[in-house]
Parts: sequence; structure tokens; C-alpha cells
Amino acid sequence: MKGFLGLLLFLVALPIQAHNIAPGAEAKQAILLQGGTLHTVSHGSLEQTDLLIVDGKIAAMGKELTVPANAQIINVSGQHVYPGLIALDTTLGLIELEQARPTNDMREVGTVTPEVLAHHAFNADSDIIPTIRYMGITHAQTVPQGNLVNGRSSLMQLDGWNWRDALEVGPVALHVSWPRIGLNSAWWERRTPAEQHKANAEAYQELLQVFVMAKAYHEGRLEGTQTRVDQRWEAMRGLFTGDLQLFVHADDRRQLEQALQFNREYGFAMTFVGARDSWMMADTLAELKTPVIFGYPYGLPSRVDDGYDTAYATPAMLHAAGVDFAIAYPGYWDSRNLAFGAGNAVAYGLDYQAALRAITLTPARFMGVDKSLGSLDVGKQATLIVSAGDVLDHLGQRIEYMFIDGREVNLSNRQLQLYEKYSERPNN
Amino acid sequence: MKRRSAWLGLSAIAAAGVSVLAIADQTTPIRGLHEHNPSLVALTNATLITEPGTRLENATLVIEHGVIRSIERNNRAPAGARVVDATGYTIYPGFIDPYSNYAVAKPEPRGPRGRGQMPQYSNAREGGNGSNAAIHAERTWYETVTASKRDAKGYIDLGFTAVQTARLDGIFRGRAATVSLADQLPNDIIYRSHGRHFASFDKGSSAQQYPSSLMGSIALIRQTLSDAAWYKEAQGLHSANGPVEFNAPLAALASVANDGVVFEASDEQNLLRASHVFAEFSVPLTVLGSGFEYSRINAVKSTGSTLILPLGFPAAPELNGQFAELDVSLTDLRHWERAPGNPAAVANAGITFAFTTHGLDKKDDFWANIRKAIDYGLKPEQALAALTTVPAEIAGVANQAGRLAAGYRADLVVSRGDLFTDGEIVSVWLQGQEQRLKDMHPASFVGDYSLELNGQSLTLSVSGEGRLQGKLSAGETEVKLTQLSSDDNKLYFTADLTAFGIAGVHRFRLQPDSLTGFSGRAQNTASELLTFTATRPEPETTPAAERRQAGTPKYVSQLTWPNTGFGVTTQPEQTNLHIRNATVWTADSQGVLAETDIIVRNGLIHRIGKNLPTPRGYQVIDATGMHVTPGIIDEHSHIAISQGVNEGTEAVTAEVHIGDVVNPDDIHIYRSLAGGTTVAHLLHGSANPIGGQGQAIKLRWGQGAEGLKFKEVPPTIKMALGENVKQSNWGDMNRIRYPQTRMGVAAMMRDYFQTAREYEQAKADYARLSRSERRRTAPPRTDYRMETLLQIVNNERHTHVHSYVASEIVSLMDVVDELGFKIHTFTHVLEGYKVADEMREHGARASTFADWWAFKFEAYDAVPQNTCGMMNKGVLTSINSDSNDLQRRLNTEAAKSVRYCGMDEHEALKMITLYPAMQLEVDKYVGSLTVGKQADFVLWNAHPLSAYAQPQQTWIEGRKYFDRQADLARRAEIANERKLLLELVLSKGSEAQRGNSNGYRPTPPTWHCEDNHDVWRWQEFSQLNNATQSFEMLTFEMKGAH
Repeated sequence: MKGFLGLLLFLVALPIQAHNIAPGAEAKQAILLQGGTLHTVSHGSLEQTDLLIVDGKIAAMGKELTVPANAQIINVSGQHVYPGLIALDTTLGLIELEQARPTNDMREVGTVTPEVLAHHAFNADSDIIPTIRYMGITHAQTVPQGNLVNGRSSLMQLDGWNWRDALEVGPVALHVSWPRIGLNSAWWERRTPAEQHKANAEAYQELLQVFVMAKAYHEGRLEGTQTRVDQRWEAMRGLFTGDLQLFVHADDRRQLEQALQFNREYGFAMTFVGARDSWMMADTLAELKTPVIFGYPYGLPSRVDDGYDTAYATPAMLHAAGVDFAIAYPGYWDSRNLAFGAGNAVAYGLDYQAALRAITLTPARFMGVDKSLGSLDVGKQATLIVSAGDVLDHLGQRIEYMFIDGREVNLSNRQLQLYEKYSERPNN
Repeated sequence: MKRRSAWLGLSAIAAAGVSVLAIADQTTPIRGLHEHNPSLVALTNATLITEPGTRLENATLVIEHGVIRSIERNNRAPAGARVVDATGYTIYPGFIDPYSNYAVAKPEPRGPRGRGQMPQYSNAREGGNGSNAAIHAERTWYETVTASKRDAKGYIDLGFTAVQTARLDGIFRGRAATVSLADQLPNDIIYRSHGRHFASFDKGSSAQQYPSSLMGSIALIRQTLSDAAWYKEAQGLHSANGPVEFNAPLAALASVANDGVVFEASDEQNLLRASHVFAEFSVPLTVLGSGFEYSRINAVKSTGSTLILPLGFPAAPELNGQFAELDVSLTDLRHWERAPGNPAAVANAGITFAFTTHGLDKKDDFWANIRKAIDYGLKPEQALAALTTVPAEIAGVANQAGRLAAGYRADLVVSRGDLFTDGEIVSVWLQGQEQRLKDMHPASFVGDYSLELNGQSLTLSVSGEGRLQGKLSAGETEVKLTQLSSDDNKLYFTADLTAFGIAGVHRFRLQPDSLTGFSGRAQNTASELLTFTATRPEPETTPAAERRQAGTPKYVSQLTWPNTGFGVTTQPEQTNLHIRNATVWTADSQGVLAETDIIVRNGLIHRIGKNLPTPRGYQVIDATGMHVTPGIIDEHSHIAISQGVNEGTEAVTAEVHIGDVVNPDDIHIYRSLAGGTTVAHLLHGSANPIGGQGQAIKLRWGQGAEGLKFKEVPPTIKMALGENVKQSNWGDMNRIRYPQTRMGVAAMMRDYFQTAREYEQAKADYARLSRSERRRTAPPRTDYRMETLLQIVNNERHTHVHSYVASEIVSLMDVVDELGFKIHTFTHVLEGYKVADEMREHGARASTFADWWAFKFEAYDAVPQNTCGMMNKGVLTSINSDSNDLQRRLNTEAAKSVRYCGMDEHEALKMITLYPAMQLEVDKYVGSLTVGKQADFVLWNAHPLSAYAQPQQTWIEGRKYFDRQADLARRAEIANERKLLLELVLSKGSEAQRGNSNGYRPTPPTWHCEDNHDVWRWQEFSQLNNATQSFEMLTFEMKGAH
């Protein structure tokens, strides 16, 4: 017992915070991060290199940069600078407490709800969000949930006053949960295989019908024959104009194959989300250049005969085959483990730089914002983080600074404050 | 001529068809004439199988008044007997099905239950019934027996003449009766009125909440058997609170050890569980098996139970569509291949068993499957015993049925050919009365006849099987026959005879007079008749097929423990080891030792030091660049639990025991080993304030449930506070169970523990009584719920208390301080950092999540720095998983304390090794790499707390249970075995699809603390989940369940 009494009380060195954590203010001066290891993602890692932020942009990177007048200098030598991490496929801002229904805005009623926009419910004041930033995540894609055609997602920056302020870009994609194809063998399942196949086929027919309608509607609008507005089909028009991507949530190999087949007809900009079995068809996905957002970095094997590390090793397999992939950690409070999930992929064979890219630059590209986000490049947004050590490793990650669009972000959060409060309790 | 007479004689009996009462109705007054039908019958020239292994050729069986009068070893029938020539036929004793619900009242349908319904906690009381609606041992099912001709037919067609029957509903189902399948008065068909008790784990139609889990059912059985023993003593006496009540089911169970129990077990694990609980009360079991016995045959054998085996071999898994195999496990493919070998495996193990038709989708498959079982190694006489003598024993009628012997019931099966080869049953005799299924001597009209018609010589040719065709010819002239048909012994056809010079279309009838001689007549449209005779050479008889013998199956599948892809064929050997040059994380005061050796001897850590010499014969592991840590210990796990993690029905269910339902087949045991975990403390869920008893296991993959148990761990129990126990998230119907507030939780704890003290006092008071006082006083009833609480109060059973918020944690400590005992470990304890001082003062330990929060309101103040907050205040803290996923990576869960609050890395490692060992009070044995402790350790390829660490090997007591290289090799073997079995299924085509449709084990669920559905009611889950049918939604819902 004596051992832990001797433990040093460890606190992140942060200014004492009021309970409200305001979004960062625009910098009034240039900021120079001096002497850090810059993990650019786009062009390798640069040791002992300076990075200059001017007007919210990365103005320069290089050894011993000249310090502009009035610049704020932050010594980050021995520390690591990364582009801000981007968490795809989350429900951040849509839910606060899973079992408190009033806080849950994730899922609209009905199976076909393309009209809903995730950012319309995004709670920029969620107490969850600061805990996500604390782990190096600057942006999150917030996604409506559902059971067939779920709605449209947006990319949010995580330090905004309200959703409009926080909206980085959106809507980005229409989300479809692909109907099940395989059989369910759970203990409660009493339908015969034939009954299950029938139900699965019906759900697929329903989905096909949705797209037939949406397409006819779009063409009718173009021709002027469709005079009445239908919010559902109106919301899907972007798919046909190329303004909206299609994100297909599918896990089973047969679903992935069916969706590829489906998209031969439509030719949408289609990305797979979840994609548990993507490793089985990595070559096909690489050949077709179908992007994959792999959502199971810590996944359990989905089949009893699968290796215990099948999900762990999937990113490495996708990378080896040349698949264009990102790594996600779907969820809300737990999405903060994104970097560790990428680290686990490294433990099971993924190249380190590829792992970093899978949670920064590739997600930025998938969201259509890689011109401004996702890597440390001159001219891009100064959206970056400084970590005491390796950001993918629990033992190294400690986020000392975060900048979003050049604004320094307050890293405090409800949890830290509670801990600090009780650390101040006198011993008795 | 012999055969001719048989032909005629038998058809005469069939034609008679009168209902002849074999046994007189002995007590009903006769209102009409007194009928005295002759009942003396002799079946002559038969092959008699009087009992398995005894075969009499050319013997005569004499029956009278429904019983066998004698067996004569010659062909002489007694004078006056009606003779039935059974030449060429084999007669077996009538078969007995020991497990049925024939002729008894059916149970009530299971009504809708679930969170949309008001829960029902009690049982409607009438007639001194039991307090639990699933216990109705007082029912005697003979009382509802009425013969059912329709239901009997399904049995009789297969050769059955009697069944043991009861209503198959509930846990103690009442006593079975053994009845004849004859269509007679109940008074005549009941062979045994008070047969065995029937029982199961399934509460059936009971609408009462308790029990909702397998462990609840086991506890209820245990309490009921104990109560029955108590009631036997206490009946008629006075207890401390008045005269002992009347209790019908307890009275009925007074002699259960003599009466015996037939127990329905859904799989071999439940067979073992049932045998254990009944053995505690010396009650012998006969178990209705599942067909999976072969997969743990030695354990099944060691129970000493007699088995009743179903023959529902499964149809092959569906593999038609491309990649359909993605839904099919090797586990199922193996079972498809090996299920027909189960009877042989059981027989070869020397287990006594009977067959039943129960559980067979299509009754027509019964004989095909028996023959298949023989091809898979079962001896025909074993099969016969399983249909006759053994079920006669089980059904308590061995003195009157199951054999052909004088004085036994005239219940017979007459077959053409050997039934176990390819014979067919032609008739079944029930109480001396024949029920004809097929003609004993069916006429075959196929062949060429010489016909004399109207002075002309014609040739009649008949051919075809089933559908006949034929022609009449004379020289070159041919006439095709139309309207050909035949019945028992007549052939009919129509032919136009004009071509033969006889005008008109004629309708013919032909019948045999002898084996070769026939006569017939033809009628023309003018109603004129021509008579004729015909002869046909004697048809060649096909020689009888060689009698089927036990086959030797060649399986392409493996048989492993457990019988799943990653199962093992042998237990790893205990190895003496020299681990060289590792970074050793001792988790004790030695700290982290670089370039250090470990010597493991006889399963224990023998030496730790630098540059140690290798003892002779020791295996060397070069661990240069590797790290060694103690095996990881998880304080809070729900893996390896069968059929329900919560008995969350009543507020206090301290009597239920996870140890009763350990599931050694759970693949998560193996997966957790692959993550470096060696010990898991399996806990009851958190749906009620005082849940169930915990069970620690070592992850000795391949062992049975008993072999997994970590027996050195002192008894534990799960308790729970907060939202789950006050049913905050259970919907509007669940608002009637006390407690609904944290105030009530504290009050309830005080009340139950106080009552346990008083229970103890009552037992002590009784012990002090004089002998004469004891004769007048009922002994105190053993109450397992109270016994368990008493152990807690006496600090003999360590509490692990699910808790979240500060108030409830302090309140519980307050209550138990008052009662004079201690809370051992708070688990989850998410606000422990707020009340760490109070916890330290009480002496409580803590086990928490690394970073879970925000899944419900009481988790809103959870912080990932909780570990540091408690450790800094001197509270012994561990990290637990509460999840089959996190249990595979507790190392990085511990590392989160390094991340969030800068904990020392070695201390962080102790949170998943030494400290949980201390919380389970087994740090003497495990938890650190200390000389003398058990050699449970993990070899890592990198710093064990880093994101990049991968366990390479996991050892328990000097046995290697996981090896990454071996695992990779195993995957290739699994792929190959799958391929072989897929080919086998696909190559068999539709043949593979024959069999039971639901023949495989359902995938067990992943349990969570809060999963509190009733495992005996799958319907509501089926509906709920098929409605959403979304993988994401389901997993999402489950995430909240802590």
C-alpha cells in the first residue's frame, strides 16, 4: 500500500479553468512552434524543425526559422507536432448520455430519412467534446444513425460556439446501412434460413426502390415535370449532381460485393464505412479504388473460426493491398481512443506513417477538405496538435497544445476539472 | 402350400378388423351381452429376438389375454390357438419410448413477457402448491391420461408399444406414467401410474419472474431438493414461527431419491450441471441428451447418469449461395459430420442409454437414423437394447415389457427382415392385438403368365414397380393393358380382346390360388363373364441382405476440446523452463529487471536472477528483447457463462452461483489468453442489489467447467447499487420491485443482512435444544439465500460491489459498518475518486474502468483519472474489463492511467496483475513473478503497456496455453478442415439437407452486467431484434450495459 502513497500526483500543467471552457480566440500575433519533431504526414517526419503560424495558416516550416516581430514563441523541442486528428463516423454532438433519452438525437424515426442533416442537432456545448479534443482530435464527422437510408453527415471542427460556427463542411455524405445478407445465428433467432433470406431480400428491394425514386425525382426536377418538392428525394439529388457522396455502412463480404454491384449502375462516389470483411476482398477494393473507412480497429472476430487478431490486422492487410483507407473509432465519448486504435494497427503490422495518415490526411481527403486540413503543409490551416510523445501510444501521448485554424484550443474538460477538484480535497 | 395358407390366413384376420378387447374391462358393469372373444394366438415359425443378443429361430410365441403365455422352441401351436404363420418374420419386443408427452394434458401456452408487461413476482396459490410456478412436483400425470389414436399412430408406425409420459413443462414437472399405446381405456393402458419425476431447467409456461437464468433454475432445484429433505423431517412439527405448513410439491419429492428423475438437458454442459446438482442430494438421474454427448464423453460418463438419446441428426448447414459458408462455423460442420456417431460414442463409453423419438423433426427418419448410427459404429444389439430393455428400466416396467417372455405384455413388433439392416415393420401388437401396418405377404403380380382364355393360349406380361404396366399377347398379336391396378391380392386391368377374336373391351380380375396358380374372370360390356386360369413360374426370391454390422466411420473433421476450430486435442504439458535474458516485470518489490532469467519448475516460479544456469532437461526460451509479465487478472468478467448473467428477477438472489454455469466452450477464453489474460473473475450482473455468487477461473482452455475453476479463490459475491438495481432504465412497467431509490437500496441491505444474523441465531437456538425438545420442534429450514448472506456478514464471502456514485458508496459502507462487517471491493466505483478517503478508512478496495463514462447519468462524473485519484489516497485499485473485448487488452487499459494521470508504469501493470490478485485474495499464488508463486506469465514482444505490444505466449502453471506461432499454424489447419467439410457437404447434395433443421447450438450472446432478459423466453428478443435487424443498433445498445 505504501507504494501508491508514494505516487506523485500528476496534473497536466494548465491554467486554472473556469467551469465553462470557451472556444479559443483568434491569435493576435504570429505563433512559432520551435524545435519540435514535425510529423507532416504528407512528406515524412522532420526532427527539430520550427513551424510558424500566421493568420491561422501554416506560414512556414524549417530549421531555425526567423522569428517574426511580436511572435509568440512556444518551445516544443523534444515534443511531437501532428496535424489534428480527424474522427470519422462518430455521433459526437448528437448524444450526451446513452441512457438519457432527452440527450439522444442520433436517429430519426423510419427507415428512409435522407432529409435529416446531422449538423442540425450538433450540440457544440456537449461536455463530451472537450474530452475528445484532449486526445488530439480536432475534427469529427457526425453521422445520423438508422437502419437503411439514415441521413446526411457533416464534418465539424470541435471548438465552436454553435453548430454553424463549428461546421467545417457539410453535408458531406448520405449514409446508407446496407441490408443484411448473411444469416443470423444468435440464440434468440428463430426464423429459418429461408425466412431470413426472404426478409433480407425485401430490405434490399426497399433500398433499390429508394434509389429508383430518387433518380426519377431528380430527373423530373431537371425536366421540370416534378413540380412538388419531396424533402427525402430532394436531399438525395446531390448524389446525382456529384455534390454528395454515398457512404455505405456494410460489414459482411456479401454486402460489400452487393453494394459494388449496385454502384456499377449508379456510379456514385461511394465509400465503405465499417467494412469489417474488407480484408477478404482487399485486392478488389484496391483495383476499384473504393475508399474504406475501417471501423473496427479493436474489433472482436466476427466469426468463431477467424483469428483473434483479424480486425487488428485488417488495416495492415488493406495497406499492403493498396486500398485507400482511413481508420475510424465509431462512437461518441469513446471515439477519443482513435489514435490508440491506429497504434494497435501498427502493433499488428501497419506501417507507422500509414497509420498516421489513416487518421489525418486520408480522412481529410474523404471529407473533401484535404486542401486545408490533414497534414502539416505550408498554406494549410494551422490545425495541429503538440504531444509530449508518440501520439499513437498511451505511453507517449500527452497533448500539450492544440490549434484549430490557428486558434489555441483550451484542452481542459469536465473530467479533468472534476479530478482537479477532488485532488484539492484535504487528506483526512 | 404352407405359404398359401399364411397368405389367406392373415388376410382373414385383417379383414375381420373387429375391435377385440385384449384385456377385459374389469370394473365397468356390462350393459349388453357378455362378449368373450377368443384371445389365444400362436405366432409360429418366427425368428424371436426375445431380448438383445438372444435369437430363437423357428420358434412359436403364444399369447393370451394380452400377455405372452409361452415361448415354444418349435412350431407347435397349442390346441385351440388361432395360428399366425410368421415364417420368414422376425418378432421383437415392442419398443418403449421413455420420454414423451403422449396422452397427457398439454401445458398452457407461454404468454408474452418482457419489459412491456407488468412483472409477476409471485405464484397464484391453491391447494398447497409451491411458491414457484415452475415447481409442480405434486402433479401425477396418469390422472390426465386418455388414449389418443392419432398421436399413438406416429409411435406405433415406428414399432413402439409403450411410452413414459408426462407434461413437458416447468422445472419439477411432476411424475410420469408409463402407458401402452393401445387404443383402450386409460385403466388398461396405464402400465405404471407413479413413474419417475420429470424435470428440466426451463421454467416453461410459468409466468413468474424467478428464475430467469440457468443459474437461477439450478439454485431453485437445489433449494427445492433441500426443502424436500427438510419437509420430510419437519412435517407435523412446530417451527419457531408456528406449525410447519402443508406443502404438496415438497411432500411429493420426499422419496425422489428412490423414484429417480428424468431430466431434460439441452446440451452436454447442462447434462453435467444437472448431474452435479442432483448428485448433491444423491438423486440418480436419467438424462434426456442432446446429441452432443460425444464432445465431452468422458465427463458425461463420469456422471454415471443413464441417457435417453434423441436421433435428430442435423441437416447440413445451408451452403447453397456463394460465400454462404461465411455464416457457418467449423463447430457446426463438425457436428453435422459427427452427430450420427454420437450413439456409438455413448455406447463405446459404456454408458447405458435408451433412444427416444423426442426431438426428431420427421419421425420417418427414425429408422434411417438408427441404421445410420449403426453405420457410424453402434452395434445392432445395443440399438435394440436402447429400444427395449433399457427404456423398460427407465420407465419402470422392466418386469412387464421390453422382453419376449412368459408373463410379459404381448407387445410385439413383427418385421420382414432384420429391422436394423433394412427390414420393415409389418405389424405391431399392442396387448395381444395386432395393428397391421403392411401386408405380411403382399402379392406381387409382376411376371409372365400363361393364360387359357376361351380356349386360347395367351401370354400375360406384367411389369413395373408401383405403377404397373402390361400386355396380352399371342404370337405377334399384342394388346396393351389399361387401368392396371392391384390391391392386397387381386390384379385388375382392362383389355380390348378384339385382336384375339373375342369381341369387346373386357375388364379383368386375377387372383392367386397358390404360389404359382391363379384364377380370374373377364367381363365384357354385355355383362358376360369369362373365367380362366393362369400359371406363373415361382418368382425368384432375393436373398436376404447381409445383416448390418457396426461400421467404422472415417471422419475428416477433428474432435477437440472444446469442439471448435481453436479447440485443443490435448492439454498442454507442464514444462520446466528456463526463460533467458528477458525484461522481467515482476509486479512485486523487485520492480522491473533488465536482462533477467526465470526458472520455472513444476508449475511454479523457482528462481529469478541474472545469467542463471539451465538445469538439465529444462526447455530454454531465449527471450532476448522480450518482456515477461505476470498473467493478467481481470476482477470483473462475464465471459464463459451459460444462459444468463443476471438472475435479476428478485432483489436478493444470493443463492445463485456463477460457478454452476461456467461455460468452458466460450471462445473468449481463448481470445483473452491471446491478450495475456490468465485469470478472470466471473461475476453475476448488476440487475439486483444482492446478485449471485462469483466464480474465478483460470483460462485453462480445453478443460471442462470444473477444470477451469480457480479453486484457491475464496468465495465471492456480486452486489450492486444505483440505476440498475433500482430499475431506472427498465421502462415504465418495472416500477414495483423494492427498491426504486438509493434510499431503498441502503434500507434493503440493512434488512437482509440483519435477517441473516437472525437466521444464524435461529439455527444456534435449535442446536441448543434438548433431545426431547427437538422431537417436538421442526429443524430450521436451510435457506441458501440466507446461508450466503450469512457468509458475507461473517466476512467469509468477499463482496464485489457494482457502484457508481459517491452517495451510494458511502451509504453501503455506513450500513455494513453498523452491522459489523466490511465491504471487500467496490467494482466500477466510478466516483471512487470523490470518496477515496472514506473507502481507505473502511478498508475497501476498488476496481474500475480505464475510461468509460457518459453511457448513463450515474456515469456522468466518471473520470479516467479515477485510478490515480484512489491510489493516491491509498485505496488498492485495479482495472477490470467487464467486456470480452477489453479483457483481451487490459495492458493498454492500464496504460491509460499513464496517459491520463501519469501513473508509474510498473504500478499501472500491478493494477492488472498483483492488485486484482489481492482483491481476489490469491496474491499468495498469483499476481506477480515472485519465487514460489504459480508460473502464470506472458511473453511480450515489446513494452507490455505500449500500444505496440503483442503477447507471444501465455502460460498458466508452467503450461503453455497460447502461442502466437502455433495459433497462426492452427488457422491454416482450420481453413483446410473447413474446406474438406464444405466439399463433403456440397458433394452430398440434397442428401446432406436431410435431417433436423435446428440441429446446431445457437451462438451464445455476449453478456454484460445489465443484460437482464429472461433466458427461458426468447420470443420477445426474436421480435425486438428482427424488428431493428441492425448490427450497429444492437452493438450500440449493448455498449450501454455496464
